[in-house]
Amino acid sequence: MASSAAPARPRVGVVKMASCDGCQLTILDLEERLLDVTERFEILDFPEASSARSAGPFDVLFIEGSISDPHQAERIVELRARTRYLVTIGACATAGGIQALRNWGDHAAFRDAVYARPEWVASLDRSLPVADLVPVDAELRGCPIDPDQLLELLAALATGRRPQLCDESVCQECKRRGAVCVAVAKGVPCLGQVTQGGCGAICPRYGRGCYGCFGPREGANVDGLLRHLTADLGHDPAEAGRLLAGFTAWAQPFRSAIDATGGAPEGSRRSLPMAPEAARRAAQEGAR
Amino acid sequence: MVMTPPPPAPLPALAGPRFLSRDGIQPLLDLLRADGRRVIGPTVADGAIVMDEIVSADQLPRGWGDDQAPGRYRLVRREDDRLFGYNLGPSSPKAWTFPSLVPISRATRSEGKVTFDPVLPEPPKIAFLGIRACEIAALRIHDRVLQGGPFVDTDYAARRADTLIVAVGCTVSAPTCFCTSMGSGPELTAGHDLAIVETEDGLLVEAATPAGETLLAALAARVATPEERARATHEVAATRARIGDPVALPGLKERLLAQPDHPRWAEVAERCITCGSCTSVCPTCFCTSVTQTTDLAGADVVMNRTWDSCFSPSFAKVAGGSFRSRPRDRYRQWLTHKLATWEDQFGTPGCVGCGRCVTWCPVGIDLREEAAAIAPVRPPEPVIAPVAATPGAFAVGRVSAVRSETADTTTLAIDRLDPAFAAGRPGQFAMVDLPGFPPLPISISRFTADGLVLTIRGAGPATRVLCGLQPGDEVGLRGPLGTAWPLDRVAGRDLVIVTGGIGLAPLRPVLDAVVADRERFGSVRLYYGARTPADLLFRDELEGIWPHAGIEVALTVDRAGSDWSGPVGVVTHLFDRATWDGSATHAFVCGPERMMQATVAALAARGIGAARTWVTLERHMECGIGLCGHCQMGSLFICKDGPVFSIAQLGDTFGREGI
Repeated sequence: MASSAAPARPRVGVVKMASCDGCQLTILDLEERLLDVTERFEILDFPEASSARSAGPFDVLFIEGSISDPHQAERIVELRARTRYLVTIGACATAGGIQALRNWGDHAAFRDAVYARPEWVASLDRSLPVADLVPVDAELRGCPIDPDQLLELLAALATGRRPQLCDESVCQECKRRGAVCVAVAKGVPCLGQVTQGGCGAICPRYGRGCYGCFGPREGANVDGLLRHLTADLGHDPAEAGRLLAGFTAWAQPFRSAIDATGGAPEGSRRSLPMAPEAARRAAQEGAR
Repeated sequence: MVMTPPPPAPLPALAGPRFLSRDGIQPLLDLLRADGRRVIGPTVADGAIVMDEIVSADQLPRGWGDDQAPGRYRLVRREDDRLFGYNLGPSSPKAWTFPSLVPISRATRSEGKVTFDPVLPEPPKIAFLGIRACEIAALRIHDRVLQGGPFVDTDYAARRADTLIVAVGCTVSAPTCFCTSMGSGPELTAGHDLAIVETEDGLLVEAATPAGETLLAALAARVATPEERARATHEVAATRARIGDPVALPGLKERLLAQPDHPRWAEVAERCITCGSCTSVCPTCFCTSVTQTTDLAGADVVMNRTWDSCFSPSFAKVAGGSFRSRPRDRYRQWLTHKLATWEDQFGTPGCVGCGRCVTWCPVGIDLREEAAAIAPVRPPEPVIAPVAATPGAFAVGRVSAVRSETADTTTLAIDRLDPAFAAGRPGQFAMVDLPGFPPLPISISRFTADGLVLTIRGAGPATRVLCGLQPGDEVGLRGPLGTAWPLDRVAGRDLVIVTGGIGLAPLRPVLDAVVADRERFGSVRLYYGARTPADLLFRDELEGIWPHAGIEVALTVDRAGSDWSGPVGVVTHLFDRATWDGSATHAFVCGPERMMQATVAALAARGIGAARTWVTLERHMECGIGLCGHCQMGSLFICKDGPVFSIAQLGDTFGREGI
């Protein structure tokens, strides 16, 4: 297992929690640039890429995914203890992800509706960002993360400087690229103003509104945006609030704005029908 | 020797504008391209008229117009086929002369050695087609900012070196336009090579430079008829009339800079998302950051200059935090730079009135409205002509009532005076004269319907005689003289008044104004100190009227007797432990100069800065109108430039010994 490269190479791990693996795929999608990365970093543990495993300790550990079950909640604490720089990657790890929409719902009802044997399912009633459980040193936002931001973070780690990660709005990225504002020119509701840039304004450049997958930017004036959408443009408040109920819904101040406008996901408060298998078993138990 | 008159010079050929049909634009495009230029002009893309490279007249927005409002832009079809019948879209020449991202240097770092290789661009020769007068004004501003000083932005200079401009005079306008106010349009006056005015007839083209002449000559267009010329002149004039004059530019800088604490900054910050769209679409905003892109080894570095924005969180950040952490601070920074401080730095406002920041603000904040609300044009204060404005002439007033305030201080009510006295303002004074005694400057401690009230401490022979006047006695008066406490500035704000002894007299008219219209002000606090309890003036007001009117009154004395249970000590101790926030509070201070120095320092420590603290000064005066020279202090005459000054106005002469 001993590496032939210089011993100074930082030891890196990539682990996942509750997630779709898309951010890990962004790492693998670096393709030829991945070779540079492996020259500079020793990748100890990355089960998406290799069956060779290691328990660390890690100089840098990338965490994909939200904390969604008790096992993950324990594991993240253990991993933190073995890690120098813990970096969360993607909307799930940094904000709780799209799955955090269930945080507004009835967890038990969802579980009973989806799983045939709900008693075998151990899950937390909320999907949480990693930073709710352990200290995080850096985060890469987005669903999925941006490969250039990933490389910038790696370059910064390799040289010991502060990474230059965008803290401005998506609007500025839009304008720099000469894209026409979809909100002003087409009346498309767009979260770009309150969303942290770094994505290169992909969505507005293709004519659709930003849906906030990079999450709220520092000091995001969500109330101001919602007031404009409702008072000035006549959108229904709950509908406006629902714009925020996406990939980073659980991140503040999006979360509070969703609550304040009644923009919680449709059906989250409704009791769900049980899954057929669970219904059959419940009926059997009732008959017994 | 007989001089023969020189033969008359031949009149220059009357060039004048030429006429081109709309279809005649393609040959112009071809000429520009044949000159090796990329033509950057208007075209329809993504729901707007944007600037992009144009190779064919078919790309021009023929028959397109737009509908603009704060936060709203829509393309609309025109009923005619004009090529330039639209107003400005989101993009400006800035994207080509000052691109959003340019490499400025390549650098290396290896084994302790570093190298830097500045990147010099090799920009294409550009011809801008269809840009407007306000955009040329913006380019000229960039010329001053980026290459008009001792240091030159080499990237900008290279890109700007050979730009040819085919401009269009505006025959259309949007509700967001205000070039007329900023002096930048709609007429084309300078900075272009060819000027086009488009009317229902077609295009009137006129050359303004030799390069333009050459192009015009090559186009072989006929001379425009007087009727065509008249229509063009009329259409541009009509545009000016339509736009009107939406921003009151004269004096705007001073009015705006006088309002660093206006509550509107916080109100607009509730609407502002700080997204930075305004600075990005602004054709003059030039703030940038340098980002460094490194390879994984950190050895090879590309330094890029990118557009930044004063609305970004990191723009004013240093280790420890941001100097402008609140959105209101950032909005104020932007607006005051555009409309005020830019002028000090670069000689003109930083705004050309193109209105892009208004249209492209995603929440529709209108700079014109904000400027008008924060820095309104006030009708000029009526000049109150003082009565008897020469040192020898006095109006005669009659003492109607006398009241002994303390052992040495007396208040005289004087009536039957010229009504001009009643028009005086709080803080002004009068020159008071009893024949045989020297004239004295006395603060006016109240204005009444037909006169005024003077409160006088008998400190010398003349003041002691005044204190001894009886009802029915007459006295000579000139005034009201000097500057006043700035009540308009503190309207709607919190006010702290700190005073000692007889210093309460010139502040009583302020407190009268507060009592008369309590809603006009925020919280009002009076901190007043006297030598002993018996030296407190205006006991009725201090103990009854003012507290009842919601003024917080706190008193202290230097020496107490058995009848005093209040605080003892210097007046600043009264607010040592106060909980009020000074960051938006204003202060009026009057007392002995040493006391005012200590008070101003204590107020500054609580966050009330020099621009929000006013004092009233005392000096020897003979004339009271700036003629006798006695009261000079630095560059000021206390009688005519004061006696009320802000500490910012006094600068470091305040409290300096021997001035």
